[in-house]
Amino acid sequence: MRELITFQVGSYANFIGSHFWNFQDELLGLFEDTQADLVYKNQNLDMDVLYRTGETQQGMPTYTPRLISVDFQGCLGSMSSRGTLYNQNQSVSSGVATWTGGVSTQAAEPHKKNLFLQRLYDEGRDIVATGNGVNKVSGESQTEILDTDVVKSLEDDVQYWTDYAKVHYHPQSLFELNGLWMNAQEFNNFGIGRDTVSEGLQGDEINERLRFFIEECDHVQGIQFMVDDSGGFSGAAASLLENIVDEYSNVPVLLYSVRSPNAQNNLTNRKQVISSNLHDAVSFSTLSSLCKLIVPVGLPSLSQSRASQLLNLHDEKPYHSSAVYASAIHSISLPFRMKRIGATGESSNGCGAMNLYEGIQMLAGQARQNIVTILDSAIPAPSITGRQFQQSLLGNLQSLTPETAHDVEDLQAIESMIVHGAHGAGDHEASISEVKEAVETAYENASTRPRFSHISVSRCPLPIPLPFPSIFGNRVGRRGEWLSSPILDSPERRGSLDIHSIPMVARLRSSTAVLPFLENRLGNIRKFGLERGSIGSNLLRGWGFGREEIEEIGENLSKMILALDPQQEYSSDSD
Amino acid sequence: MSIRTLNPNAEVLNKSGALHMNINAAKGLQDVLKSNLGPVGTNKMLVSGTGDIKLTKDGNTLLKEMQIQNPTAIMIARTAVAQDDISGDGTTSTVIFIGELMKQSERYIDEGMHPRVLVDGFEIAKRATLQFLEKFKTPVVMGEEPDKEILEMVARTTLRTKLYEALADQLTKIVVNAVLCVRKPEEPIDLFMVEIMHMRHKFDVDTRLVEGLVLDHGSRHPDMKRRAENCYILTCNVSLEYEKSEINAGFYYSNAEQREAMVAAERRSVDDRVRKIIELKNKVCAGSDKNFVVINQKGIDPPSLDLLARAGIVALRRAKRRNMERLVLACGGEAVNSVDDLTPDSLGWAGLVHEHVLGEEKYTFIEEVKHPHSCTILIKGPNDHIIAQIKDAVRDGLRSVKNTIEDEAVVLGAGAFEVAARQHLINEVKKSVKGRAQLGIQAFADALLVVPKTLADNSGLDTQDVIISLTGEHDNGNVVGLNQHSGEPIDPQMEGIFDNYAVKRQILNSGPVIASQLLLVDEVIRAGRNMRKLT
Repeated sequence: MRELITFQVGSYANFIGSHFWNFQDELLGLFEDTQADLVYKNQNLDMDVLYRTGETQQGMPTYTPRLISVDFQGCLGSMSSRGTLYNQNQSVSSGVATWTGGVSTQAAEPHKKNLFLQRLYDEGRDIVATGNGVNKVSGESQTEILDTDVVKSLEDDVQYWTDYAKVHYHPQSLFELNGLWMNAQEFNNFGIGRDTVSEGLQGDEINERLRFFIEECDHVQGIQFMVDDSGGFSGAAASLLENIVDEYSNVPVLLYSVRSPNAQNNLTNRKQVISSNLHDAVSFSTLSSLCKLIVPVGLPSLSQSRASQLLNLHDEKPYHSSAVYASAIHSISLPFRMKRIGATGESSNGCGAMNLYEGIQMLAGQARQNIVTILDSAIPAPSITGRQFQQSLLGNLQSLTPETAHDVEDLQAIESMIVHGAHGAGDHEASISEVKEAVETAYENASTRPRFSHISVSRCPLPIPLPFPSIFGNRVGRRGEWLSSPILDSPERRGSLDIHSIPMVARLRSSTAVLPFLENRLGNIRKFGLERGSIGSNLLRGWGFGREEIEEIGENLSKMILALDPQQEYSSDSD
Repeated sequence: MSIRTLNPNAEVLNKSGALHMNINAAKGLQDVLKSNLGPVGTNKMLVSGTGDIKLTKDGNTLLKEMQIQNPTAIMIARTAVAQDDISGDGTTSTVIFIGELMKQSERYIDEGMHPRVLVDGFEIAKRATLQFLEKFKTPVVMGEEPDKEILEMVARTTLRTKLYEALADQLTKIVVNAVLCVRKPEEPIDLFMVEIMHMRHKFDVDTRLVEGLVLDHGSRHPDMKRRAENCYILTCNVSLEYEKSEINAGFYYSNAEQREAMVAAERRSVDDRVRKIIELKNKVCAGSDKNFVVINQKGIDPPSLDLLARAGIVALRRAKRRNMERLVLACGGEAVNSVDDLTPDSLGWAGLVHEHVLGEEKYTFIEEVKHPHSCTILIKGPNDHIIAQIKDAVRDGLRSVKNTIEDEAVVLGAGAFEVAARQHLINEVKKSVKGRAQLGIQAFADALLVVPKTLADNSGLDTQDVIISLTGEHDNGNVVGLNQHSGEPIDPQMEGIFDNYAVKRQILNSGPVIASQLLLVDEVIRAGRNMRKLT
């Protein structure tokens, strides 16, 4: 078995992660459901890659994500930081056994569970009450809270990422940073985050939890690490990654640096803009030096972008936008979990399995050694029949990575694509070979072809769990098919009640299209950090970066640019 | 005001406004923490919105749990937490001392005195008090064998302020023995060599000291022994897993031998390393009933575990980095980074290695070692919040013992030092100073009394009575502290109530500095925010 460990650091990363685990939970549920479609039965995925099997002290077996989530204290909403499974009786009335003197109790007002969590909670209790076999009855007795009410309540007020999480977490999984003594807006730069984790015991504690999960693994294939890099959490992540590089030098890290569409909206004055630009440069440069492959994710205005042409979502709701990114990240993670069958690794249900190390090797280990990749996706994917797909597949793949160039001709590009659940003729699921053929034709017809491309195919579509937000436009059908005309009598936004699953295409691409992203960061660090008398150098010193370190950051960035574009002259010793 | 022309949104507090903001913040923080102080203070139970419970009487923990937003309060809290980082205790005392300095100053400032004058007085008083502390402290001679009794008294004083008496007394012995165990002559004490491990199991009174180590993981092979006696311990940092990617993963075999052959071919280098360990085992254990335990910092994959298990070796993977050091100190031998230089000399020894399973958690005990220089405090408790509280207390206890050994001195507790210092300031120092700085000294001296006052207050005693009887005794030349139960003066020396010298010195150093800084603030400017609404 080749285990993956998942890290979610920062608020937005946790929003994405929560959706991600909901997908996994849905797949697990459908796999066991006798009435579910056959594709879910034969999904050919090894869930043990992401999940661990455990047991509570009472002897109850558990199956929980192999996950470490780091967030502010109080960001867990109504969920206990010890998760839900390993609950012991933590009643206040048990008294204080360690003190004979007075005790004063400060109780915060209990968080109200929203309708969705309330229903989950009730169902869980019923199953326990009725024993294991007969939970049919309990399902029927739960008609008081209707699906439509749940969806509506989630649409209206999701405040925490736990509000729509239907997964049970292990007590070691959820970590709350405390003792910050500042509000979330002030936790906005690399320096603060790094200090918080590296000083004191909190960093050690998180590293200990990682050790807990790694020790269980027989053969860990890697770590997928999502970090909300818009604020202090990128510094916190850097500190954690340093430990990983030190302790587990052979464990590859795939890093998604994510940010929400409204991360930069509240910059009011020039100083804040400079600070945020410098933060971006410093954070990207540091994080990229601590992982094997980095994927920047998060468009500044997702709802207006080409990536959401079939979607209808609100940028200001992290609940909405994170669902889009989670879908793409889910797809990318599929090849790492496919079961290898036979010598060629092909079967009627999936092909193109690889492990994280191979995936990284393929994208970043070859000629150019470029470790910054672009995440593209088509949500939902078009049908593969006819010429439409072959021409439009590549055209419909839209970048979720910010600041990328369009229509770049890059003969050295390397791509790894995953297509799952694609529809064929007559909106039936297409077979593996059909999909492969269609993709190959698409590449052949394209004006520029990448130097190398890898394709993974699975028949299993992305199931849409109930707490998925209503973000689909009215041209998406029940099974995620593209409709030629909008459904007239349907609401403007369609969600989990109308759409049950969608086909997906996602792709990681190592290409020169990412150059603008890199150049902006290099430009900023030069302009604000390195130029003589620049405003930013004081700021950076406050974050713990001396002159030499800033120069190193600049060099690191220009090296990355040079790797992609050797013609350009980016020598750093201009002064 | 000129700032307004520069930024119309700027919020400006003038002199008295700024001062009162600071004073109120300091007093507010003092109010929150003061009920914690001393062996009869109140325990705080914090219940979060999700029903999670935190139980603490430790100022340091409490400050971290509070989401403090007021900038002044944050400054004070940072000082107090730094106090804990440096000396291991005294967080609450620092906060209430700063609060009291501010409160005393307020009286004089309201009467029209300039803060600068008070601050000058503070400075003089601080220096004088520190000198007095040097004279007042009780020296302790730390020879080859430190005086266990005095160490226990210091540890008990600290622990009794955190836990109920019986448990505190039980832990006292544990922490003193733990520190003495890791202490090496002529070297600073490294408290990291005391492992603190917890098990959610049984009761708080089952907490004990393990001479040796407790690891929070077990072997990962069903055939390895769960209990082994007379063990050689190999501490190593060698990867025993196949690391290259399995690009051509699928291979076939028709019988066990064939499989063996293929696995061996694929993984020769890993197996070679395992084999070298097995060779060493056979060499040292041949013909005896001795056992062999491998504790590795890196991973060990199932095939390697298989080989080791078949050779009768118990192997643990992914040990904590710090445990590498602790193991060597506890069992002897040395940590090995490569299997090429394996010799019997690099092995450690333990009389007993056994495993304990609680649900999915496994613990490995390495006990009966010969000359331990590292040990484990194993905390037990029925639930997490009790464990957490004991853990905090144990940390403080360990620090207090370490401080005593390093300071080679202790200070009489129960408020005795504060009263004595106050009398010294009033009777001697104040008279030697001319002018208004006297008032600063007076304020400082009165602020010192906050410790006995709060102790009395927390015990439900009459504060004035207590202070009068204490100062009276001191004026008669008797150094006394407060008996929290009766309110009568007691001799702390007789009762064995001692505080750390380092803690007291640190409080005296940092408290007045912050208070002075806060007093000298005469304008607070902040753009775009309303400060009065905070807190």
